[in-house]
Amino acid sequence: MSDTIVKIQVTDGTVTDFKDKNLLNAWRLSFLGAILCMAYLVFFHPDPYMRVLKFIPDGLWVTFKVTFMSITGALILGLVTGLGRISRNRFINLVASTYVEVVRGIPLLVQLFYIYYALGRFLRVPDLLSAVIAMSVCYGAYMGEVFRAGIESIDKGQTEAARSLGFNRAQTMFLVILPQAWRTILPPVGNEFIALLKDTSLVSILAVSDVLRRGREFASETFFYFETYTLIALIYLVITLLLSRVVSLMEERLSHYER
Amino acid sequence: MLKKLMTAVLIVALAAGLALAQTKKKIIFASDATWPPMEFIDTNKKIVGFAPELLEAMGKEGGFEVEIKNTAWDGIFAGLENKKYDAISSSVSITDERKKAMDFSEPYFEVHQAIVIQSDKPIKSVADLKGKTVGAQIGTTGYFVAKKMEGVEAKSYDEIGLAMEDLFSGRIDAVSCDDPVAAQYALQKDEYKGKMKIAFIVPAEEKEFYGFPVKKGDKETLALINKGLKAVKEKGIYAKIKDKWIPPVK
Repeated sequence: MSDTIVKIQVTDGTVTDFKDKNLLNAWRLSFLGAILCMAYLVFFHPDPYMRVLKFIPDGLWVTFKVTFMSITGALILGLVTGLGRISRNRFINLVASTYVEVVRGIPLLVQLFYIYYALGRFLRVPDLLSAVIAMSVCYGAYMGEVFRAGIESIDKGQTEAARSLGFNRAQTMFLVILPQAWRTILPPVGNEFIALLKDTSLVSILAVSDVLRRGREFASETFFYFETYTLIALIYLVITLLLSRVVSLMEERLSHYER
Repeated sequence: MLKKLMTAVLIVALAAGLALAQTKKKIIFASDATWPPMEFIDTNKKIVGFAPELLEAMGKEGGFEVEIKNTAWDGIFAGLENKKYDAISSSVSITDERKKAMDFSEPYFEVHQAIVIQSDKPIKSVADLKGKTVGAQIGTTGYFVAKKMEGVEAKSYDEIGLAMEDLFSGRIDAVSCDDPVAAQYALQKDEYKGKMKIAFIVPAEEKEFYGFPVKKGDKETLALINKGLKAVKEKGIYAKIKDKWIPPVK
């Protein structure tokens, strides 16, 4: 095993340093702050904050659904794309690379509109599904690059050793290379998860009733713009921080093997 | 010498002209121009329609200048509150809830809520909509009406055009909006003609009217708008503009 461990730098999402064991760290401060702020508003100014909070739960459920379905879709697409990008087959390589180039060149908002309205003329994809497809396709391309970088970071000697022990190429990839690459891949993938969670707020333009759209519906009827969006921002902050905590816990477990 | 004199005269005339023009108050109206035929963007990227033409005429009669600012519907009321413009001209129905937040001019148009469906669907009344999905623009009376219907899933869109497109592609069963807009989409638009129709007008307990909202307590702007509106109605200009833009519903 090579003695330099490649770390891919964090690109997006909230940064949580799990090595920071102080009682007062950035994560705890923002999380507790957000929770206390919400509790204060809801208990001491129930009108309108309690009303907003009661209006939103089904939107929260939709946001969760879109996030987790898109994460699954993006992971699968990302793995396939990453493998395609390092494939020695010229055709597969070209397809995977073109997919990454095209998708990374189009803003997510435009992709959402495109998949929903432009393709909606030919295929009757339901709203939630088209949101998930658009998010998966977009983030699949980003994750494809992360997977490729992670796989390429594993020393060539590993492949050579596995091959000389009689593993075929698929076995080498799935039994030897990927389990090691996972450690390099996880932090940037985790950050993509967090970025994806935040970007799900874009699907509200497709009339998908997520947290943001529920909030907008409430505000447009009652004119409590400030109050509604304050609460919406706090809700997003709390769920993003929770997800980032989960990601950093996974990182912590994997870093056991790091010396 | 003569040249200098001429220049001086010109400058004075210009200054006087400017001063005169400035005495005419300018009222900035916010308008979500996605609501044909009331207000929309034509192919020359200009805001046209019934309301812009009516405002122009009102300005002439009431002695104020009109500027129309295209603004997204979602948040149009928040902008008035934050003084980004003086008034709204965006087919705003006068409701009790809205009256608490803003002051309204005299009503300028009577509307009804119409239900648009695909022409081959057997929907004839509110009861037929049970278990169906009805789309409408967020924060409009059309949406509030759909939300109140029993057993109906109301879906909110940013623009009415997007809701119509979803009705056309079959993702939702009906669209609820103001009758002139419904007529414009279902009966006038080439792409939708023959494929969509107005199923029925939602029965309402109270009559619904459009008004021009101004910031609460802005008496000066309100008086100017009302003066212009009154004059336009009395002189018959209103009827002419209405005939030009509003298609018959049936």
